[in-house]
Amino acid sequence: MTSCGSARVLVVGVGGLGCPAALALARAGVGTLGLVDDDLVDVSNLHRQILFEADDVGRPKVPAAAARLKQLAPAVQLELHETRLLPGSASSLVQQYDLVVEGSDNFATKFLAADACAIGRKPIVHAAAVRWHGTALAVGPSGGPCYRCLFEDVPLENAPNCAEAGVIGPMVGVVAAAQADLALSVLAGEDVFGELFTFDGKTLASRRRRVPRRRTCLLCGDAASILTIEPRRYVEGICTVA
Amino acid sequence: MDTIVRIPAALRTLTGGADEVKAAGGTVGELIEDLDKRHPGLKDRLLDEKGVRRFINIYVGEEDVRFTGGLATELKAGDQISIIPAIAGG
Repeated sequence: MTSCGSARVLVVGVGGLGCPAALALARAGVGTLGLVDDDLVDVSNLHRQILFEADDVGRPKVPAAAARLKQLAPAVQLELHETRLLPGSASSLVQQYDLVVEGSDNFATKFLAADACAIGRKPIVHAAAVRWHGTALAVGPSGGPCYRCLFEDVPLENAPNCAEAGVIGPMVGVVAAAQADLALSVLAGEDVFGELFTFDGKTLASRRRRVPRRRTCLLCGDAASILTIEPRRYVEGICTVA
Repeated sequence: MDTIVRIPAALRTLTGGADEVKAAGGTVGELIEDLDKRHPGLKDRLLDEKGVRRFINIYVGEEDVRFTGGLATELKAGDQISIIPAIAGG
């Protein structure tokens, strides 16, 4: 258990999920937030990325978000990482924090964050939202069930991302709230790991399902083979909307 | 025996926007075949030559079919099927 005020949380992706999640964590009293993103604020982001205003369009997201967070939650310490989470630095970055909150817009980053946290034995809370469908999953520091138990590998085709499918503004608020709630539970020492939260914005139905540890999982299974970060594993298209 | 199948938002273009549809089958594999007859294209979105696509999860009730026999998982009256795809976005 890490007390909230001394906790160090890395927010991967300062977009529709990362903005409200970071704000919730900062106002809950999390001591230090690291912000990771290499993107610029686009006008198409403003309907859901609540730390940005029209004046921020064209600015890098990380300093723009940091400036707004400092206004809204002055006590929080912020560490700015104006970069995409990259295979060469993911492990060392993750090691600097107690918990990772991942709301990135592409599968390569999601799997990279999952692998770096599992290898480094750090807890992570994943979240995603596309159209009216959202998910959140907390993975513990001591192995599975993990993100790869649920989704085995980076999709190469047919899987929706936000560039192709769009993101509904209120959806990311709901899912980010669940993500922040899970993150605070992790920091409080609660066992919230291995349950997949799903939310359907069309029907307003939410469910929680236990995710079993998959014995054949490459990351946490009985014969796990992902023991280091190899860049070739994290190749796919990149979303340009979030 | 018709079974209720919950369709995720990402696949509702294939079901005319319906979030729940019906399909028949004694196993998950048979059900997907029938689902594809009623809503062409769904099978291709769910399966590849090896079985359930690696970024798709199919649940019977609260159980992931990967752990209950995959496409051979038997269905009984009252079962509800949920499809959960991997998504990236925010």
